[in-house]
Amino acid sequence: MSEQEREDRSVIGVYHLMKTYREQNALDDVNFTVGNGEFVFLVGPSGAGKSTLLRMIYMDEYPTSGQVVVGSFVSTRMKRGDIPFLRRRVGIIFQDYKLLDDRNVYENIAIGMRIVGAAPYAIKHRVTWLLNEVGLYHKRLEMPETLSGGERQRVAIARALVNHPVILLADEPTGNLDPDSAEDILRLLFKINSGGTAVLMATHDHSFVQNFGQRIIHLRDGKVFEDRKTDFIGSLSDRLETVRRDRDRQRRIDREIKRQRASILSPTRDSE
Amino acid sequence: MMRRWLYIFDEAFRTVRRHKGLTSISVIIMSLSLLMLAVFLLATDNVLRLVGQAQDEMKMYVYLDDSNSQDEIERLHGLILSQDEVSTVTFVSREEALADFRDQLGPDADMLSALRTNPLPNSFWVTPRNDYKNRDAMVKLAARIEEMKGVDEVRYGREFLDKFASILAGIYTVDVVVGFIVILSAVFIIANAVRLTVISRRKTIEILKLVGATNPFIVAPFIIEGAVQGGFAAILSLLLLRVITEISSNIISDITFFSLEKSLIFAATCVVIGAIGSFMALRRYLEMR
Repeated sequence: MSEQEREDRSVIGVYHLMKTYREQNALDDVNFTVGNGEFVFLVGPSGAGKSTLLRMIYMDEYPTSGQVVVGSFVSTRMKRGDIPFLRRRVGIIFQDYKLLDDRNVYENIAIGMRIVGAAPYAIKHRVTWLLNEVGLYHKRLEMPETLSGGERQRVAIARALVNHPVILLADEPTGNLDPDSAEDILRLLFKINSGGTAVLMATHDHSFVQNFGQRIIHLRDGKVFEDRKTDFIGSLSDRLETVRRDRDRQRRIDREIKRQRASILSPTRDSE
Repeated sequence: MMRRWLYIFDEAFRTVRRHKGLTSISVIIMSLSLLMLAVFLLATDNVLRLVGQAQDEMKMYVYLDDSNSQDEIERLHGLILSQDEVSTVTFVSREEALADFRDQLGPDADMLSALRTNPLPNSFWVTPRNDYKNRDAMVKLAARIEEMKGVDEVRYGREFLDKFASILAGIYTVDVVVGFIVILSAVFIIANAVRLTVISRRKTIEILKLVGATNPFIVAPFIIEGAVQGGFAAILSLLLLRVITEISSNIISDITFFSLEKSLIFAATCVVIGAIGSFMALRRYLEMR
Protein backbone atom coordinates (compact mmCIF):
# COMPACT_ATOMS: atom_id res chain seq x y z
CA MET A 1 0.00 0.00 0.00
CA SER A 2 1.47 3.35 -0.96
CA GLU A 3 1.63 6.30 1.39
CA GLN A 4 -1.11 8.11 -0.51
CA GLU A 5 -3.47 5.14 -0.46
CA ARG A 6 -3.01 4.76 3.25
CA GLU A 7 -3.87 8.40 3.74
CA ASP A 8 -7.11 8.00 1.83
CA ARG A 9 -8.27 4.94 3.65
CA SER A 10 -7.08 5.83 7.12
CA VAL A 11 -9.18 5.14 10.21
CA ILE A 12 -6.95 7.28 12.38
CA GLY A 13 -5.17 10.44 11.42
CA VAL A 14 -2.88 12.27 13.81
CA TYR A 15 -1.69 15.66 12.59
CA HIS A 16 0.89 17.93 14.28
CA LEU A 17 -0.24 16.65 17.63
CA MET A 18 1.04 18.55 20.66
CA LYS A 19 0.18 17.85 24.26
CA THR A 20 1.64 19.93 27.03
CA TYR A 21 1.41 19.20 30.72
CA ARG A 22 2.71 21.98 32.96
CA GLU A 23 4.91 23.34 30.17
CA GLN A 24 6.34 19.87 29.54
CA ASN A 25 5.77 18.45 26.10
CA ALA A 26 4.28 14.98 26.50
CA LEU A 27 3.76 14.84 22.77
CA ASP A 28 5.62 16.99 20.31
CA ASP A 29 4.46 17.33 16.70
CA VAL A 30 3.37 13.75 16.18
CA ASN A 31 2.13 12.81 12.71
CA PHE A 32 0.92 9.48 11.40
CA THR A 33 -2.08 7.74 10.00
CA VAL A 34 -3.35 4.22 10.51
CA GLY A 35 -4.94 2.66 7.45
CA ASN A 36 -8.11 0.63 7.41
CA GLY A 37 -7.29 -2.89 8.55
CA GLU A 38 -3.70 -2.07 9.38
CA PHE A 39 -1.79 -3.48 12.34
CA VAL A 40 0.53 -1.00 14.04
CA PHE A 41 2.75 -1.36 17.07
CA LEU A 42 3.37 1.79 19.04
CA VAL A 43 6.60 1.23 20.93
CA GLY A 44 8.73 3.33 23.19
CA PRO A 45 10.03 3.37 26.75
CA SER A 46 7.56 4.19 29.50
CA GLY A 47 6.98 7.92 29.65
CA ALA A 48 7.45 8.30 25.92
CA GLY A 49 3.81 9.37 25.52
CA LYS A 50 2.20 6.15 24.26
CA SER A 51 -0.72 6.17 26.69
CA THR A 52 -1.20 9.91 26.24
CA LEU A 53 -1.37 9.39 22.50
CA LEU A 54 -3.97 6.63 22.86
CA ARG A 55 -6.03 8.79 25.21
CA MET A 56 -6.05 11.49 22.56
CA ILE A 57 -7.34 8.95 20.05
CA TYR A 58 -10.27 7.81 22.19
CA MET A 59 -10.60 11.46 23.18
CA ASP A 60 -10.35 11.11 26.90
CA GLU A 61 -8.19 14.19 26.50
CA TYR A 62 -7.86 16.79 23.79
CA PRO A 63 -4.59 17.92 22.19
CA THR A 64 -3.02 21.22 23.19
CA SER A 65 -2.69 21.82 19.47
CA GLY A 66 -2.96 19.76 16.33
CA GLN A 67 -5.71 17.39 15.39
CA VAL A 68 -6.82 13.81 15.78
CA VAL A 69 -9.25 12.31 13.29
CA VAL A 70 -10.95 9.00 14.02
CA GLY A 71 -13.36 7.95 11.29
CA SER A 72 -15.72 10.88 10.96
CA PHE A 73 -14.85 12.29 14.40
CA VAL A 74 -12.49 15.26 14.50
CA SER A 75 -10.98 16.27 17.85
CA THR A 76 -11.27 19.98 17.18
CA ARG A 77 -14.95 19.70 16.39
CA MET A 78 -16.09 17.29 19.11
CA LYS A 79 -18.98 18.10 21.39
CA ARG A 80 -19.20 16.36 24.73
CA GLY A 81 -22.27 14.46 23.57
CA ASP A 82 -20.36 12.99 20.60
CA ILE A 83 -17.85 11.11 22.72
CA PRO A 84 -20.00 8.06 23.54
CA PHE A 85 -20.61 7.57 19.83
CA LEU A 86 -16.88 7.73 19.09
CA ARG A 87 -16.24 5.14 21.81
CA ARG A 88 -18.65 2.76 20.10
CA ARG A 89 -16.49 2.88 16.94
CA VAL A 90 -13.25 2.35 18.87
CA GLY A 91 -12.54 -0.74 20.96
CA ILE A 92 -10.16 -0.19 23.88
CA ILE A 93 -8.24 -2.65 26.04
CA PHE A 94 -5.85 -1.97 28.89
CA GLN A 95 -3.10 -3.58 30.89
CA ASP A 96 -5.49 -3.88 33.87
CA TYR A 97 -8.41 -5.26 31.78
CA LYS A 98 -11.01 -2.95 33.37
CA LEU A 99 -13.73 -5.57 33.72
CA LEU A 100 -16.84 -5.10 35.82
CA ASP A 101 -16.41 -7.48 38.74
CA ASP A 102 -20.08 -7.44 39.68
CA ARG A 103 -21.15 -9.54 36.68
CA ASN A 104 -20.10 -12.63 34.82
CA VAL A 105 -18.07 -12.96 31.63
CA TYR A 106 -21.11 -13.02 29.37
CA GLU A 107 -22.55 -9.84 30.87
CA ASN A 108 -19.18 -8.11 30.77
CA ILE A 109 -19.14 -8.57 27.02
CA ALA A 110 -22.85 -7.87 26.55
CA ILE A 111 -22.72 -4.53 28.40
CA GLY A 112 -21.37 -2.77 25.31
CA MET A 113 -24.50 -3.78 23.38
CA ARG A 114 -26.94 -3.28 26.25
CA ILE A 115 -25.99 0.38 26.54
CA VAL A 116 -26.82 0.94 22.86
CA GLY A 117 -30.17 -0.76 23.37
CA ALA A 118 -29.50 -3.73 21.08
CA ALA A 119 -32.15 -6.44 20.73
CA PRO A 120 -31.72 -9.43 23.08
CA TYR A 121 -31.36 -11.96 20.28
CA ALA A 122 -28.73 -9.78 18.58
CA ILE A 123 -26.82 -9.56 21.86
CA LYS A 124 -26.98 -13.29 22.40
CA HIS A 125 -25.83 -13.99 18.86
CA ARG A 126 -22.93 -11.57 18.90
CA VAL A 127 -21.71 -12.38 22.41
CA THR A 128 -21.85 -16.13 21.79
CA TRP A 129 -19.88 -15.68 18.59
CA LEU A 130 -17.25 -13.58 20.37
CA LEU A 131 -17.02 -16.02 23.28
CA ASN A 132 -16.15 -18.75 20.79
CA GLU A 133 -13.77 -16.44 18.97
CA VAL A 134 -11.73 -15.76 22.13
CA GLY A 135 -12.15 -19.35 23.35
CA LEU A 136 -14.06 -18.64 26.53
CA TYR A 137 -17.52 -20.02 25.79
CA HIS A 138 -17.12 -22.62 28.53
CA LYS A 139 -16.35 -19.84 31.04
CA ARG A 140 -19.18 -17.52 30.07
CA LEU A 141 -20.89 -17.81 33.49
CA GLU A 142 -17.75 -17.35 35.57
CA MET A 143 -17.01 -14.13 37.42
CA PRO A 144 -13.92 -12.19 36.28
CA GLU A 145 -12.05 -12.70 39.56
CA THR A 146 -11.97 -16.46 38.98
CA LEU A 147 -10.19 -16.05 35.63
CA SER A 148 -6.48 -15.93 34.86
CA GLY A 149 -4.92 -12.73 33.53
CA GLY A 150 -4.88 -13.99 29.97
CA GLU A 151 -8.52 -14.99 30.16
CA ARG A 152 -9.50 -11.63 31.57
CA GLN A 153 -7.73 -9.87 28.76
CA ARG A 154 -9.58 -12.04 26.26
CA VAL A 155 -12.88 -11.03 27.87
CA ALA A 156 -11.80 -7.39 27.57
CA ILE A 157 -10.96 -7.94 23.90
CA ALA A 158 -14.36 -9.52 23.25
CA ARG A 159 -16.06 -6.57 24.95
CA ALA A 160 -14.02 -4.12 22.89
CA LEU A 161 -15.15 -5.83 19.69
CA VAL A 162 -18.81 -6.22 20.53
CA ASN A 163 -19.98 -3.17 18.58
CA HIS A 164 -17.84 -3.89 15.48
CA PRO A 165 -15.27 -1.13 15.97
CA VAL A 166 -13.14 0.05 13.05
CA ILE A 167 -10.07 0.00 15.24
CA LEU A 168 -8.93 -1.72 18.40
CA LEU A 169 -6.68 0.33 20.68
CA ALA A 170 -4.55 -1.72 23.05
CA ASP A 171 -2.55 -0.06 25.81
CA GLU A 172 0.11 -2.51 27.00
CA PRO A 173 -2.34 -5.42 26.73
CA THR A 174 0.32 -7.95 27.64
CA GLY A 175 1.92 -5.91 30.41
CA ASN A 176 0.55 -8.03 33.26
CA LEU A 177 0.80 -11.39 31.55
CA ASP A 178 3.27 -14.25 31.57
CA PRO A 179 5.02 -14.86 28.21
CA ASP A 180 2.71 -17.69 27.14
CA SER A 181 -0.49 -15.72 27.82
CA ALA A 182 1.08 -12.68 26.18
CA GLU A 183 1.72 -14.71 23.09
CA ASP A 184 -1.88 -15.96 23.10
CA ILE A 185 -3.17 -12.41 23.31
CA LEU A 186 -0.92 -11.29 20.49
CA ARG A 187 -2.05 -14.22 18.38
CA LEU A 188 -5.65 -13.25 19.08
CA LEU A 189 -4.97 -9.65 18.07
CA PHE A 190 -3.45 -10.85 14.79
CA LYS A 191 -6.52 -12.99 14.18
CA ILE A 192 -8.81 -10.04 14.83
CA ASN A 193 -6.72 -7.91 12.51
CA SER A 194 -6.94 -10.51 9.77
CA GLY A 195 -10.73 -10.13 10.07
CA GLY A 196 -10.36 -6.52 8.93
CA THR A 197 -10.23 -4.58 12.19
CA ALA A 198 -7.32 -2.18 12.45
CA VAL A 199 -5.22 -2.60 15.58
CA LEU A 200 -3.00 -0.06 17.30
CA MET A 201 -1.09 -1.68 20.12
CA ALA A 202 1.15 0.24 22.50
CA THR A 203 3.96 -1.62 24.22
CA HIS A 204 7.30 -0.84 25.79
CA ASP A 205 8.66 -4.25 24.81
CA HIS A 206 10.45 -3.51 21.56
CA SER A 207 12.13 -6.87 21.18
CA PHE A 208 8.86 -8.70 21.64
CA VAL A 209 7.18 -7.12 18.61
CA GLN A 210 9.91 -6.55 16.07
CA ASN A 211 9.72 -9.98 14.51
CA PHE A 212 6.18 -9.93 13.15
CA GLY A 213 6.64 -7.94 9.97
CA GLN A 214 4.24 -5.25 11.17
CA ARG A 215 4.57 -1.53 11.03
CA ILE A 216 6.20 -0.10 14.13
CA ILE A 217 5.93 3.50 15.23
CA HIS A 218 8.72 4.22 17.63
CA LEU A 219 7.96 7.00 20.08
CA ARG A 220 10.67 8.63 22.11
CA ASP A 221 10.36 11.73 24.30
CA GLY A 222 7.01 12.54 22.76
CA LYS A 223 8.30 12.47 19.19
CA VAL A 224 8.03 9.92 16.41
CA PHE A 225 11.55 8.58 16.40
CA GLU A 226 11.04 6.02 13.71
CA ASP A 227 8.10 4.77 11.63
CA ARG A 228 8.94 1.68 9.67
CA LYS A 229 7.62 -1.61 8.53
CA THR A 230 9.58 -4.54 9.86
CA ASP A 231 10.32 -7.04 7.19
CA PHE A 232 9.46 -10.56 7.90
CA ILE A 233 8.26 -12.96 5.29
CA GLY A 234 6.51 -16.04 6.54
CA SER A 235 3.45 -17.28 8.37
CA LEU A 236 2.28 -16.11 11.75
CA SER A 237 3.41 -19.31 13.38
CA ASP A 238 6.88 -18.76 11.91
CA ARG A 239 6.92 -15.35 13.50
CA LEU A 240 5.75 -16.65 16.81
CA GLU A 241 8.32 -19.42 16.51
CA THR A 242 11.00 -16.76 16.18
CA VAL A 243 9.70 -15.03 19.27
CA ARG A 244 9.72 -18.29 21.15
CA ARG A 245 13.26 -19.06 20.03
CA ASP A 246 14.40 -15.64 21.14
CA ARG A 247 12.70 -16.12 24.43
CA ASP A 248 14.20 -19.53 24.98
CA ARG A 249 17.61 -18.16 24.15
CA GLN A 250 17.04 -15.36 26.62
CA ARG A 251 16.01 -17.89 29.25
CA ARG A 252 19.11 -19.97 28.59
CA ILE A 253 21.25 -16.87 28.96
CA ASP A 254 19.44 -15.95 32.19
CA ARG A 255 19.93 -19.42 33.54
CA GLU A 256 23.60 -19.35 32.62
CA ILE A 257 24.07 -16.02 34.35
CA LYS A 258 22.29 -17.28 37.42
CA ARG A 259 24.42 -20.43 37.46
CA GLN A 260 27.62 -18.48 37.14
CA ARG A 261 26.54 -16.08 39.85
CA ALA A 262 25.76 -19.01 42.12
CA SER A 263 29.12 -20.56 41.47
CA ILE A 264 30.87 -17.32 42.29
CA LEU A 265 28.94 -17.06 45.56
CA SER A 266 29.70 -20.63 46.59
CA PRO A 267 33.37 -21.38 45.84
CA THR A 268 33.26 -24.75 47.63
CA ARG A 269 31.13 -26.20 44.90
CA ASP A 270 33.41 -24.62 42.35
CA SER A 271 36.40 -26.46 43.73
CA GLU A 272 34.80 -29.84 43.38
CA MET B 1 -37.39 1.93 24.75
CA MET B 2 -38.83 -0.72 27.04
CA ARG B 3 -35.58 -2.63 26.71
CA ARG B 4 -33.56 0.33 27.92
CA TRP B 5 -35.72 0.73 30.98
CA LEU B 6 -35.34 -2.96 31.70
CA TYR B 7 -31.59 -2.56 31.46
CA ILE B 8 -31.63 0.49 33.73
CA PHE B 9 -33.71 -1.23 36.42
CA ASP B 10 -31.64 -4.36 36.12
CA GLU B 11 -28.47 -2.30 36.67
CA ALA B 12 -29.93 -0.47 39.66
CA PHE B 13 -31.00 -3.63 41.45
CA ARG B 14 -27.86 -5.52 40.50
CA THR B 15 -25.75 -2.96 42.33
CA VAL B 16 -28.08 -3.00 45.32
CA ARG B 17 -27.83 -6.78 45.46
CA ARG B 18 -24.10 -6.85 44.82
CA HIS B 19 -23.20 -4.18 47.37
CA LYS B 20 -25.61 -5.27 50.11
CA GLY B 21 -23.29 -4.20 52.92
CA LEU B 22 -22.66 -0.70 51.63
CA THR B 23 -26.27 -0.23 50.64
CA SER B 24 -27.57 -1.23 54.05
CA ILE B 25 -25.04 0.98 55.82
CA SER B 26 -26.08 3.96 53.77
CA VAL B 27 -29.78 3.12 54.28
CA ILE B 28 -29.20 2.98 58.03
CA ILE B 29 -27.30 6.27 58.06
CA MET B 30 -30.05 7.85 56.01
CA SER B 31 -32.84 6.45 58.15
CA LEU B 32 -31.24 7.72 61.37
CA SER B 33 -30.97 11.23 60.01
CA LEU B 34 -34.48 10.96 58.66
CA LEU B 35 -35.62 9.77 62.08
CA MET B 36 -34.31 13.01 63.53
CA LEU B 37 -36.31 14.88 60.90
CA ALA B 38 -39.39 12.72 61.51
CA VAL B 39 -39.26 13.29 65.26
CA PHE B 40 -39.16 17.00 64.63
CA LEU B 41 -42.03 16.86 62.16
CA LEU B 42 -44.11 14.72 64.51
CA ALA B 43 -43.52 17.17 67.36
CA THR B 44 -44.58 20.05 65.13
CA ASP B 45 -47.58 18.10 63.93
CA ASN B 46 -48.71 17.41 67.49
CA VAL B 47 -48.15 20.96 68.67
CA LEU B 48 -50.19 22.28 65.76
CA ARG B 49 -52.91 19.79 66.55
CA LEU B 50 -53.00 20.89 70.20
CA VAL B 51 -53.09 24.52 69.15
CA GLY B 52 -55.97 23.66 66.85
CA GLN B 53 -57.80 21.94 69.67
CA ALA B 54 -57.28 24.90 71.99
CA GLN B 55 -58.61 27.20 69.31
CA ASP B 56 -61.62 24.99 68.74
CA GLU B 57 -62.52 25.45 72.37
CA MET B 58 -62.41 29.23 72.16
CA LYS B 59 -65.76 30.60 73.32
CA MET B 60 -67.20 33.85 74.50
CA TYR B 61 -69.58 34.21 77.44
CA VAL B 62 -72.02 37.09 77.15
CA TYR B 63 -73.74 37.89 80.46
CA LEU B 64 -77.03 39.74 80.22
CA ASP B 65 -78.75 42.28 82.45
CA ASP B 66 -81.41 40.71 84.64
CA SER B 67 -83.89 43.35 83.47
CA ASN B 68 -84.16 41.95 79.92
CA SER B 69 -87.53 40.66 78.81
CA GLN B 70 -87.97 37.53 76.75
CA ASP B 71 -88.39 39.64 73.60
CA GLU B 72 -85.25 41.60 74.25
CA ILE B 73 -83.29 38.40 74.78
CA GLU B 74 -84.51 37.07 71.46
CA ARG B 75 -83.63 40.34 69.75
CA LEU B 76 -80.09 40.19 71.23
CA HIS B 77 -79.76 36.57 70.15
CA GLY B 78 -80.57 37.56 66.58
CA LEU B 79 -78.27 40.58 66.70
CA ILE B 80 -75.25 38.62 67.97
CA LEU B 81 -75.86 35.81 65.49
CA SER B 82 -75.89 38.35 62.66
CA GLN B 83 -72.27 39.38 63.39
CA ASP B 84 -69.87 38.18 60.68
CA GLU B 85 -67.53 36.46 63.10
CA VAL B 86 -70.18 34.46 64.91
CA SER B 87 -70.89 30.83 64.16
CA THR B 88 -73.38 29.75 66.87
CA VAL B 89 -75.12 31.39 69.82
CA THR B 90 -76.61 29.28 72.60
CA PHE B 91 -78.87 30.73 75.27
CA VAL B 92 -78.21 29.52 78.80
CA SER B 93 -80.90 30.57 81.28
CA ARG B 94 -79.97 31.36 84.86
CA GLU B 95 -81.68 28.15 86.03
CA GLU B 96 -79.60 26.05 83.61
CA ALA B 97 -76.47 27.88 84.71
CA LEU B 98 -77.23 27.07 88.33
CA ALA B 99 -77.85 23.40 87.50
CA ASP B 100 -74.52 23.27 85.64
CA PHE B 101 -72.80 24.91 88.57
CA ARG B 102 -74.37 22.39 90.93
CA ASP B 103 -73.12 19.54 88.75
CA GLN B 104 -69.64 21.01 88.72
CA LEU B 105 -69.55 21.30 92.49
CA GLY B 106 -70.65 17.70 92.90
CA PRO B 107 -70.51 16.67 96.58
CA ASP B 108 -70.08 20.32 97.67
CA ALA B 109 -73.43 21.23 96.05
CA ASP B 110 -75.01 21.51 99.52
CA MET B 111 -73.39 24.90 99.84
CA LEU B 112 -75.80 26.24 97.20
CA SER B 113 -78.81 25.57 99.40
CA ALA B 114 -77.62 28.46 101.52
CA LEU B 115 -78.57 30.77 98.67
CA ARG B 116 -82.07 32.22 98.74
CA THR B 117 -82.00 33.55 95.21
CA ASN B 118 -80.10 32.48 92.10
CA PRO B 119 -77.10 34.83 91.77
CA LEU B 120 -76.31 33.78 88.22
CA PRO B 121 -77.41 35.86 85.21
CA ASN B 122 -78.85 34.72 81.89
CA SER B 123 -76.11 34.31 79.29
CA PHE B 124 -75.21 33.46 75.72
CA TRP B 125 -72.40 31.08 74.75
CA VAL B 126 -70.97 32.47 71.56
CA THR B 127 -68.77 30.35 69.31
CA PRO B 128 -66.85 32.32 66.67
CA ARG B 129 -66.21 30.99 63.20
CA ASN B 130 -62.88 29.17 62.81
CA ASP B 131 -61.29 32.02 60.85
CA TYR B 132 -61.92 34.39 63.74
CA LYS B 133 -60.61 32.19 66.55
CA ASN B 134 -57.66 34.44 67.30
CA ARG B 135 -56.91 37.12 69.78
CA ASP B 136 -57.41 40.22 67.67
CA ALA B 137 -60.73 39.14 66.19
CA MET B 138 -61.99 38.07 69.61
CA VAL B 139 -61.10 41.45 71.14
CA LYS B 140 -62.96 43.35 68.40
CA LEU B 141 -66.02 41.13 68.55
CA ALA B 142 -66.19 41.38 72.35
CA ALA B 143 -65.99 45.15 72.19
CA ARG B 144 -68.87 45.30 69.72
CA ILE B 145 -71.09 42.95 71.75
CA GLU B 146 -70.35 44.81 74.95
CA GLU B 147 -71.76 47.99 73.35
CA MET B 148 -75.11 46.34 72.77
CA LYS B 149 -78.06 47.35 74.95
CA GLY B 150 -78.95 44.77 77.59
CA VAL B 151 -75.45 43.21 77.70
CA ASP B 152 -73.84 43.32 81.10
CA GLU B 153 -70.44 41.84 80.50
CA VAL B 154 -68.45 39.79 77.96
CA ARG B 155 -65.87 37.29 79.12
CA TYR B 156 -63.48 35.39 76.87
CA GLY B 157 -60.32 34.92 78.89
CA ARG B 158 -58.40 37.87 77.53
CA GLU B 159 -55.34 37.30 79.72
CA PHE B 160 -55.20 33.69 78.60
CA LEU B 161 -55.48 34.71 74.95
CA ASP B 162 -52.64 37.20 75.33
CA LYS B 163 -50.42 34.53 76.82
CA PHE B 164 -51.52 31.97 74.29
CA ALA B 165 -50.65 34.27 71.38
CA SER B 166 -47.16 35.02 72.68
CA ILE B 167 -46.46 31.32 73.44
CA LEU B 168 -47.64 30.43 69.96
CA ALA B 169 -45.32 33.00 68.39
CA GLY B 170 -42.45 31.57 70.45
CA ILE B 171 -43.25 28.02 69.40
CA TYR B 172 -43.41 28.99 65.73
CA THR B 173 -40.05 30.77 65.87
CA VAL B 174 -38.33 27.87 67.59
CA ASP B 175 -39.98 25.45 65.20
CA VAL B 176 -38.79 27.29 62.11
CA VAL B 177 -35.21 27.61 63.39
CA VAL B 178 -34.96 23.99 64.57
CA GLY B 179 -36.70 22.81 61.43
CA PHE B 180 -34.22 24.63 59.23
CA ILE B 181 -31.25 23.06 61.02
CA VAL B 182 -32.77 19.58 61.07
CA ILE B 183 -33.75 19.60 57.42
CA LEU B 184 -30.38 20.98 56.38
CA SER B 185 -28.43 18.37 58.32
CA ALA B 186 -30.66 15.54 57.11
CA VAL B 187 -30.13 16.54 53.50
CA PHE B 188 -26.39 16.90 54.11
CA ILE B 189 -26.08 13.47 55.72
CA ILE B 190 -28.17 11.81 53.05
CA ALA B 191 -26.20 13.44 50.25
CA ASN B 192 -22.99 12.12 51.83
CA ALA B 193 -24.37 8.61 52.31
CA VAL B 194 -25.34 8.52 48.66
CA ARG B 195 -22.01 9.95 47.61
CA LEU B 196 -20.35 7.06 49.41
CA THR B 197 -22.12 4.53 47.22
CA VAL B 198 -21.33 6.52 44.10
CA ILE B 199 -17.63 6.78 44.93
CA SER B 200 -17.48 3.04 45.48
CA ARG B 201 -18.51 2.64 41.89
CA ARG B 202 -16.18 5.06 40.17
CA LYS B 203 -14.69 2.16 38.24
CA THR B 204 -18.08 1.12 36.89
CA ILE B 205 -18.71 4.66 35.72
CA GLU B 206 -15.29 4.81 34.07
CA ILE B 207 -15.87 1.53 32.23
CA LEU B 208 -19.35 2.50 31.08
CA LYS B 209 -17.85 5.65 29.61
CA LEU B 210 -15.15 3.66 27.85
CA VAL B 211 -17.62 1.39 26.11
CA GLY B 212 -19.64 4.37 24.93
CA ALA B 213 -22.56 4.71 27.34
CA THR B 214 -24.29 8.07 27.16
CA ASN B 215 -24.68 10.04 30.37
CA PRO B 216 -28.38 9.35 30.92
CA PHE B 217 -27.62 5.65 30.72
CA ILE B 218 -24.91 5.94 33.33
CA VAL B 219 -26.94 8.17 35.61
CA ALA B 220 -30.36 6.51 35.52
CA PRO B 221 -29.50 3.35 37.48
CA PHE B 222 -27.83 5.44 40.18
CA ILE B 223 -30.82 7.73 40.48
CA ILE B 224 -33.16 4.78 40.84
CA GLU B 225 -30.82 3.29 43.40
CA GLY B 226 -30.77 6.57 45.33
CA ALA B 227 -34.55 6.74 45.20
CA VAL B 228 -34.88 3.14 46.42
CA GLN B 229 -32.46 3.84 49.25
CA GLY B 230 -34.39 6.97 50.18
CA GLY B 231 -37.63 5.00 50.20
CA PHE B 232 -36.26 2.20 52.37
CA ALA B 233 -34.71 4.72 54.74
CA ALA B 234 -38.03 6.55 55.03
CA ILE B 235 -39.90 3.33 55.83
CA LEU B 236 -37.29 2.32 58.37
CA SER B 237 -37.31 5.70 60.07
CA LEU B 238 -41.12 5.76 60.21
CA LEU B 239 -41.12 2.31 61.80
CA LEU B 240 -38.58 3.46 64.36
CA LEU B 241 -40.62 6.56 65.06
CA ARG B 242 -43.73 4.43 65.47
CA VAL B 243 -41.96 2.36 68.10
CA ILE B 244 -40.74 5.52 69.84
CA THR B 245 -44.23 7.05 69.95
CA GLU B 246 -45.68 3.79 71.31
CA ILE B 247 -43.14 3.81 74.10
CA SER B 248 -43.41 7.50 74.90
CA SER B 249 -47.23 7.47 74.79
CA ASN B 250 -47.00 6.11 78.35
CA ILE B 251 -45.31 9.32 79.39
CA ILE B 252 -46.87 11.86 77.05
CA SER B 253 -50.43 10.66 76.72
CA ASP B 254 -51.52 13.08 74.08
CA ILE B 255 -49.26 12.08 71.16
CA THR B 256 -50.57 10.86 67.86
CA PHE B 257 -48.66 9.38 64.92
CA PHE B 258 -48.71 10.85 61.40
CA SER B 259 -51.80 10.19 59.38
CA LEU B 260 -51.33 7.76 56.48
CA GLU B 261 -51.41 10.67 54.09
CA LYS B 262 -48.61 12.51 55.89
CA SER B 263 -46.52 9.33 56.13
CA LEU B 264 -46.81 8.88 52.38
CA ILE B 265 -45.82 12.47 51.71
CA PHE B 266 -42.82 12.03 54.00
CA ALA B 267 -41.75 8.83 52.21
CA ALA B 268 -42.20 10.41 48.79
CA THR B 269 -40.06 13.38 49.83
CA CYS B 270 -37.32 10.99 50.98
CA VAL B 271 -37.45 9.17 47.65
CA VAL B 272 -36.95 12.48 45.86
CA ILE B 273 -34.12 13.52 48.21
CA GLY B 274 -32.37 10.18 47.56
CA ALA B 275 -32.67 10.59 43.81
CA ILE B 276 -31.45 14.18 43.84
CA GLY B 277 -28.59 13.29 46.20
CA SER B 278 -27.49 10.57 43.81
CA PHE B 279 -27.56 12.92 40.88
CA MET B 280 -25.57 15.60 42.70
CA ALA B 281 -22.92 13.08 43.73
CA LEU B 282 -22.66 11.75 40.20
CA ARG B 283 -22.32 15.09 38.52
CA ARG B 284 -18.68 15.35 39.55
CA TYR B 285 -17.79 12.10 37.86
CA LEU B 286 -19.66 12.89 34.71
CA GLU B 287 -17.57 16.01 34.22
CA MET B 288 -14.71 13.75 33.19
CA ARG B 289 -15.10 12.71 29.59
